[in-house]
Formats: sequence, structure tokens, C-alpha cells
Amino acid sequence: MSTAVVNTDDDQLEPTLQSILDQKTLRWIFVGGKGGVGKTTTSCSLAIQLAKVRRSVLLISTDPAHNLSDAFSQKFGKEARLIDGFTNLSAMEIDPNGSIQELMGQAEEGEGPAAGMGGMMQDLAFAIPGIDEAMSFAEVLKQVKSLSYETIIFDTAPTGHTLRFLQFPTVLEKALAKISQLSSQFGPMLNGLLGANGSLPNGANLGEMMEKLEGLRETIGEVNTQFKDENLTTFVCVCIPEFLSLYETERMIQELASYNIDTHCIVVNQLLFPIAGSNCEQCNSRRKMQKKYLEQIEELYDEFNVVKMPLLVEEVRGKERLEKFSEMLITPYVPPAGGL
Amino acid sequence: MPSLLVVVFILQLTIHLVNTVGAATINNILWNIYNRLPTPTSKAAAEQRDLKKQFLKVRTELNATSSQDNFAKWAKLRRQHDKLVEQVEANKKLLDGTKSTFDSAISALRWLGTNGLRMLIQFWFQKQPMFWIPKGWVPYYAEWLLSFPRAPVGSISIQVWALACGAIILLISDALGAAVALAMGTGKATQDEKNNGGQPMKMEGEKVTAESRTSPKAKKEL
Repeated sequence: MSTAVVNTDDDQLEPTLQSILDQKTLRWIFVGGKGGVGKTTTSCSLAIQLAKVRRSVLLISTDPAHNLSDAFSQKFGKEARLIDGFTNLSAMEIDPNGSIQELMGQAEEGEGPAAGMGGMMQDLAFAIPGIDEAMSFAEVLKQVKSLSYETIIFDTAPTGHTLRFLQFPTVLEKALAKISQLSSQFGPMLNGLLGANGSLPNGANLGEMMEKLEGLRETIGEVNTQFKDENLTTFVCVCIPEFLSLYETERMIQELASYNIDTHCIVVNQLLFPIAGSNCEQCNSRRKMQKKYLEQIEELYDEFNVVKMPLLVEEVRGKERLEKFSEMLITPYVPPAGGL
Repeated sequence: MPSLLVVVFILQLTIHLVNTVGAATINNILWNIYNRLPTPTSKAAAEQRDLKKQFLKVRTELNATSSQDNFAKWAKLRRQHDKLVEQVEANKKLLDGTKSTFDSAISALRWLGTNGLRMLIQFWFQKQPMFWIPKGWVPYYAEWLLSFPRAPVGSISIQVWALACGAIILLISDALGAAVALAMGTGKATQDEKNNGGQPMKMEGEKVTAESRTSPKAKKEL
């Protein structure tokens, strides 16, 4: 069973992200994984490499704990901004939780997609699970579409709620069906209560609100079809060779498969390569453990590009270091000879 | 055609049996038989049995595999497991749909075959005497009651005959049930006695020895 040897067999795919660089049709690239495995570093490195072969690249962080600013030592905001030292690589940070508050605020001022819903109905609509993320994503995607970036890389929040919004159209469809059923059942009575034009308290209108929700569903549905197209979208899983990270990655890959989202790249980060004759006890024993999980990864994900990234002695921050690190995504790192 | 008397009796007996066994049980048995036959659902049902067997096998294997030591094997089993669960659920939904239609059809047929048939017969032969009773056996009002509702006075009507059959069947079945319960109860009791036959002796022996052991001490202490 576990006779998999750690080397590049003929049947194994090349251990680089070259395939992503080569696939020119890719428009959306997601980078995800458990917290602290190096998603931001990987997405920044990938963005740097992509910027070399594409006309323009946008890097978006949807992680509430924004790390892009930290990685590039430059402040980014809600607007796309060119990264210092690059001519075709921009970055922006959005907060899925913050933007829902904003949407509510906009609605009160009578603009934005949620405008026209009364206060009560707003609360009701926002109670639908996942709607906040979905709305903020829809907003961002609308913005991004109007800008002409060739490729957009998402640095996502840690696993869990990354892709929950992809189930959203189904949820909303059910909710809409319920609401329209209710309104057709109680419509006459409601009309009697609300007046002839079906206006709700706070100057909202039932029909209008339904239209708004329907429109939102369509936008998100469109986004979904894009995300489910393997020519347009791919997901890069980042993990470290430890049990929990592996477990999460397996779960994420299965989940992605159930959403029909393409994923064929795994970046295994923070690998230890102690030099020959090293008497660092921790390094050697950790290397042994990592080796075990690496074997398991190679056995399990034989249809994936598994990229092995070493743990460096320095923090990967700033343009130069990121550029150096990013090289290893394309040309595999060669561990010191004679090591474990 | 057998005598109407016998037909009515058998019908009452069938109704009683159906009521005691229970409609749901009969439906389930028939459903199982139906699925063993070359019917449209038999393939799905066989598949379901197969899937369940496979599912159990994979689950025991999954439980026996350590996810930490053998992650690749575990994850592969896990994928298989999840896939099987999905298949079982989908198949079950499909079968449940067919089963509910089957159930309602069987229930309707069963009703037609028992209570429906009884009503039909009772309606059809309501004017026909089952048999005549000798004149003067019972007073007129009893004769009238026995021929109720539409059989000629002095005879037994089919309704009354059915009632009588039902009452007798109920009595006999109750008696049989009681007899069986009694026999099993006594059987158990005798078995218990046999089983315990040796033990009380032993217990007594133990007690005796225990007493004989403790008594000298007690005496000493006293």
C-alpha cells in the first residue's frame, strides 16, 4: 500500500504551477487553505509570476485579517491600487463583513442594490444565510468586470466560509419560491392591509423588493456559472504537511468537487530540509513526520500538480523576497543533497 | 361455488387475520415479495441491498483505519464512504416514491378484497335466508331480529350470520392466544425451575458453609 516513493515518477504531474501560467483562458484564481499555511504568500507569489506572462493581474484579499498590506509593506484599500515596483499588478482588500454594513448604509440613503427595501424587509432579506458574502462578492465582481484585468487572484479567508456563497442561488431560489407562494396566498389580504399598490411599511414595495432579490439571484447565478467553468476558474489549495491541514485540504477538495469547481494544484508549504549531518533534533524529527504526510499526499493526489515549497529562514515579506520565493513555484526547489 | 355460509365465515376469518397481523406488516411483506419478483423496482431494491452491504463494509474498514497513520488510505475510504452514502440516499428516495404508490394500491386492493367484498356480498344476498330455524324456537321479536334487516322472518340473515362468525372467531382467537400464552408461561416456569434446580441446593450449601464458617467466629466474638 504505502510504497509510494518520494520522487517524480513518469505518471506524476510536474510539481509546479506552470500549468496555471500556461492556461491563458483562466480569469479567476482562488487560493485557499487553513489559516496560517501561507495562503497570502502563495497568492502574492503566484500573482508576481502571473504578472510576468499576463497583460494585467489583480490580487484581491477577502480575508478579514488583511495580509496583503503586510506582505508588500504597502497600504491597500477597497480600490485597486498598483503595487510599488510593478506596472501590471494591482491589489485590493475587501471585507465581506464590512461591506454588508455598507450596503445597509447605502440602502438607507436610497442607493445600492439593497435600496428600496424597507428596514424590516432589509432585515429579513439579510437573514438569508450567506447573503452578506454573496452580495459583497457580487459587488466586487461587478466592479472588477468593469475594470479590464486579465486575471484576478483571490486570496480567500481560511477554509470554512470561503465558498459558502456558491450554494447561495439555491438557497435564494428556495426563499424566493416561499415568498412568492406566501404573497400569492396572502396577497389579497396583504393588499387589503397595505393598500392597492402593495407598499410595505417604510415606503417599500413588495413587488419591487421581489424584483431586487430576483436580480441579485441572477447576478450571483451568472458568477456561479463562471466559477464552475474550468476554463475560467481554478482553485489552488495551500497546505502544510500536517494532519489537520491535510484533513482540511481533503475536505475542501471534496467540497469543491461537489460545487463543480476545478482544482488541480496543491501547494505544500513550509517543508523542512535539514542539511546532511544536521544535529537539529526538531528539524530531523519534523522532517520525518513531514515526509510521511508527503508520501500520503503523493499517493492520494496523483492527479494534482503538487508543488513543494521549503520553509525559509526568513519571513517572506517585501517585493524582492516574494519574487525570489515565487521562482520556486515554477522551478522546483532542489533540497540540499544528502539530507534526510 | 361453495356454500355462502362458508364464504362468509372465511371472509370474516380473513378480515380478522389481517387486523391482527396489521396492515403495515402485510404491506412490507408484500413489498419484499414484489421486489424479489422481476418487477421494475426489483433492480433498484437489489442495488439498495448491495449498496447497504458495501456501505457497512466500507464503514467498518474506515473505522479500522487510522486517519493519522494512513491518511491516503483513510481519505480514499472516506471518499468511497461519502459516495456510497449519497447513492444510498438517492436510491432510497427513488424506492420510497414507488413504495408509497405500491402501499396505497395494496391498501385499496386489500380493502376491496375484505371489507368491500363483505359489503358487496351482504348487499347482494341481503334478502336470501342463510338457513331456517325451526318454528317456535325463539319468540317472534327474536326471529325478527335474527332475520334483520331484510331476510324473511324465521330465517337467519347474512348480516347476522357474519356477526356470529365474527364473534366466534374473536372468541376462539382470544382463547387460542390465552392458551398459547399460558402454555409458554408455564413452559418458561418449568424451565426456570429446571435451571434453578441445582442452584438453590448450591445456594443452600453455600449458606450452610457460610453459616458454619461464620458462626464459630460469631460465637467467639460473643
